[in-house]
Amino acid sequence: MVYRRLHLLKQIVIMNIKRRKKTASFISEEEMKRRKREVVISISIIAVVALLTFVENRIIHFGADIPVSNTILMFILININLLLLLLLIFLVFRNLVKLLYDRKRKVMGTKLRTRLVVAFIALSLLPTIVLFFFSINFITTSIEFWFNVPVEQALENSLDVGRSLYWHTEERNRFFMERISYQITTKKLLDTNNKKALSRYVQVVQREFNFNAIEIYADNATRITFALAPELEDKRFDVISADNLQKEIPPKGVRTVSERIPSGELIRTIGTIPFGSTPNNAQAFVVIARLMPPDLAKKMSSISRGFEEYQQIKLLKKPIQATYYITLSIVALLVVFCSVWFGFYMAKTISIPIRVLAEGILRVKEGDLSVNIAMVADDEIGTLVDSFNKMTRDLRIGRDQLELSARLLREQNVEIEKRRQYMEIVLKNVSAGVITLDAGGFITTMNKSAEKMLNLKSEHILRKSYKKLLDGQLLELAEDVMENLKSSRNDAAELPLKLAIDGRPMSFIMHVNALKDDAGQHMGMVMVFDDLTELEKAQRMAAWREVARRIAHEVKNPLTPISLSAQRLKRKYSDHIKEPVFDECTQTITDHVELIRNLVDEFSSFARFPTANPKPDDLPPIIEETLALYKEGHPRINFEFNVTDDIPVLNLDRQQIKQAMINLVDNAIGSIRNEGSIVISIAHDPILKIVRIEIADNGVGISDEGKTRLFEPYFSTKKTGMGLGLTIVSTIISDHNGMIRVQDNKPKGAKFVIELPV
Amino acid sequence: MNRKSLVLLFGIIFCVQNLAFAQNATLTNIIVTNTRDDLLVYLNVEGAFTEKMKKAISSGVSTTFSYYLSFYQVRNLWLDNNIEDIKVTNTIKYNNLKEEYIVKRSWEKSGPQVTKSFDEAKKLMSEIDSLKIVPLKQLEKGTHYQLRAKAQLSKVTLPFYLHYVLFFVSLWDFETDWYTVDFIY
Repeated sequence: MVYRRLHLLKQIVIMNIKRRKKTASFISEEEMKRRKREVVISISIIAVVALLTFVENRIIHFGADIPVSNTILMFILININLLLLLLLIFLVFRNLVKLLYDRKRKVMGTKLRTRLVVAFIALSLLPTIVLFFFSINFITTSIEFWFNVPVEQALENSLDVGRSLYWHTEERNRFFMERISYQITTKKLLDTNNKKALSRYVQVVQREFNFNAIEIYADNATRITFALAPELEDKRFDVISADNLQKEIPPKGVRTVSERIPSGELIRTIGTIPFGSTPNNAQAFVVIARLMPPDLAKKMSSISRGFEEYQQIKLLKKPIQATYYITLSIVALLVVFCSVWFGFYMAKTISIPIRVLAEGILRVKEGDLSVNIAMVADDEIGTLVDSFNKMTRDLRIGRDQLELSARLLREQNVEIEKRRQYMEIVLKNVSAGVITLDAGGFITTMNKSAEKMLNLKSEHILRKSYKKLLDGQLLELAEDVMENLKSSRNDAAELPLKLAIDGRPMSFIMHVNALKDDAGQHMGMVMVFDDLTELEKAQRMAAWREVARRIAHEVKNPLTPISLSAQRLKRKYSDHIKEPVFDECTQTITDHVELIRNLVDEFSSFARFPTANPKPDDLPPIIEETLALYKEGHPRINFEFNVTDDIPVLNLDRQQIKQAMINLVDNAIGSIRNEGSIVISIAHDPILKIVRIEIADNGVGISDEGKTRLFEPYFSTKKTGMGLGLTIVSTIISDHNGMIRVQDNKPKGAKFVIELPV
Repeated sequence: MNRKSLVLLFGIIFCVQNLAFAQNATLTNIIVTNTRDDLLVYLNVEGAFTEKMKKAISSGVSTTFSYYLSFYQVRNLWLDNNIEDIKVTNTIKYNNLKEEYIVKRSWEKSGPQVTKSFDEAKKLMSEIDSLKIVPLKQLEKGTHYQLRAKAQLSKVTLPFYLHYVLFFVSLWDFETDWYTVDFIY
């Protein structure tokens, strides 16, 4: 048993391990991998977008310095950025669609997930939108503000100042140029003879009017003479190209060119001689140069650059605004989608363990205790999952133990049932009758032998009190026994019992035992009884034979001397005594001795009754022969012989059977006073393998007391006869291993039933 | 969102971006001629100056036109033989202080041309005059030659980060098709 239990435990453990292996992959590995991949993709996209944005920023700072074409690089970068952003959007939408689909399918946990996602989105969307619109507004107002302030005016004014500086310089130069041109023309200084005078004049003019330089060019653009201020003397001073000189002169009569030299900006105003003529008609050209100090020149150019830049920015105001909006929108979108995706992720991490737990609980509810949830989190939900796993494990172990106990119990039951059946079989097959009663006197069991002996059906008497079943003398007897058992210390009682069952006399020896439990409490009683009828009969028969033999022996011996003595008396004294009385007496003695001899012979024949010598023979002819003997002598009795079936050949002692039949028919005739009928029927019972002979008469019948003693010797209801007839019949039938019993013939008379084995 | 719609979306994005660059600039009056020693080309670009570009130039934005000239010897049943590739640039810059336009032409030996008139500056920017392509001695008599020309706005120098702006808003970019002139020497 112990070994078997161990084996069972081992099986359970193996089953558990298998189950656990099965449930460990509750979330399929593929699904886990897919989720992990999604997370990695999303994070890398965000990282790449951030990196690209950073790089773009750097490139913008480098400006045109980096060798690669900015345009193409930026184009590529921005497109990649856009693509990645789209990918992120795609991921988010995919999750959204999945969530909607799950909701439609009513997948467990979607409601919670939706709620969480909505909460996360709302939480992230609200500040993002507020910030976005605030930023847009801020940028718009800022840009408007930049362009609204009077910077433009200031710049324009300073530019005007610069312009007027140039204009004034040119105007002054023009003023002097007009005079100089007039002087040169009137003094005819251009004549080749007056070359020196021209040089002198030029130098004088330069000194007088404090020009930085003054040059005179011939009409063929060669420089005739020039005069320089001391600050330009040691510097390189180039001629003006012919092209430049030949260019059209505006209506105001002068044209100004400027060039940068190390010591500042040189402003040269070109005029013609005579003043106002076209370059083609000019006799010569006058150039007055003024040097603008370097710091002033620088300031002028910075004013110019500042204005330029301002103009350009103003030109690009709208595009800049648009750019800001676009950038801001992209960033906002990125933030929104990132947060949405993060919302999905958080919702997933929160709702999945809950969903898994809920599914596990559902499965437990359906009776599947093999649920084991893989660790999905390391927080409180993780603890919950752990507790759940422990609970299901405990439940599982408990159930397995229960199963084991039930199995053991079943086995024990089977064993008990087997024992019970065995006991029942034993009881059924035991030759003694067994009847048990409970403490209240109700019959609880009755075995087959008891049923057979008492000719009762157990279902008719089970669970009934003996007080109801018995009456009269038997009830008294039973109550006496009960009382005895209860009162006496002795638990057992033994008593002989004689009963007539269905008209058959039966003799039993009954053992009654009180049943007591371990505590000595009365539980009922068991009655065991043996059928002693046949045994008693045999014993009585043997006793009677012994008696008969002795009587025959003891009585027969003196009979012959008595008879001989009587005959001798008669012979010797008959002639002497002529008394008829004498003769009569001797004759009586002789007759009665003969009668006694007959009686003794009958005794003797009973005592020395030969044992049967059966041989196969037909039964019906024997009966027919028997009946033939009586039919003639008893015309008022109707003899009937019924053979119902084919009677098989039996092992019979023909002579003895005939004797038995004669005795029985004789008996029947004796019971019929005047008219009547005797019916003999033979039937074959193939099931019981017997042949049943019934001899029924409608005579006076036999009393119950008579029935019990009918087959005993010297029991006779007739005046004549020794009462050995039926005893002999009984002996013959016993010798043929058969059985004889007497019953009442309904409605009148008696019926002898003989059963002979086939 | 399935793959098809993604492809469609990207297609639209690229098309829109390309459309932004399209302007109707053309090359006109392409004349190939020769001096005693050299082969010369004359050409004009028309429709290059938009209102916005004029505004930008007068705001002091330095703008460069690039001219691409390729000279081929045409060969039947074979790839044309590339004899010469020339790229020249015309750059304009407005000086608001002196209210004059300075046009610098890379193919002219003399320095930048200065003019007060925008029309003149425009003319200077959009024409190539007597640009030497190859010496005549490189050419063979009776051979089929081809000159291919194209003009485009190659560079607009904006201050600071404003380059960046152009990626979102294209203002004045142009690029002409390739124009070809065939002749037999």
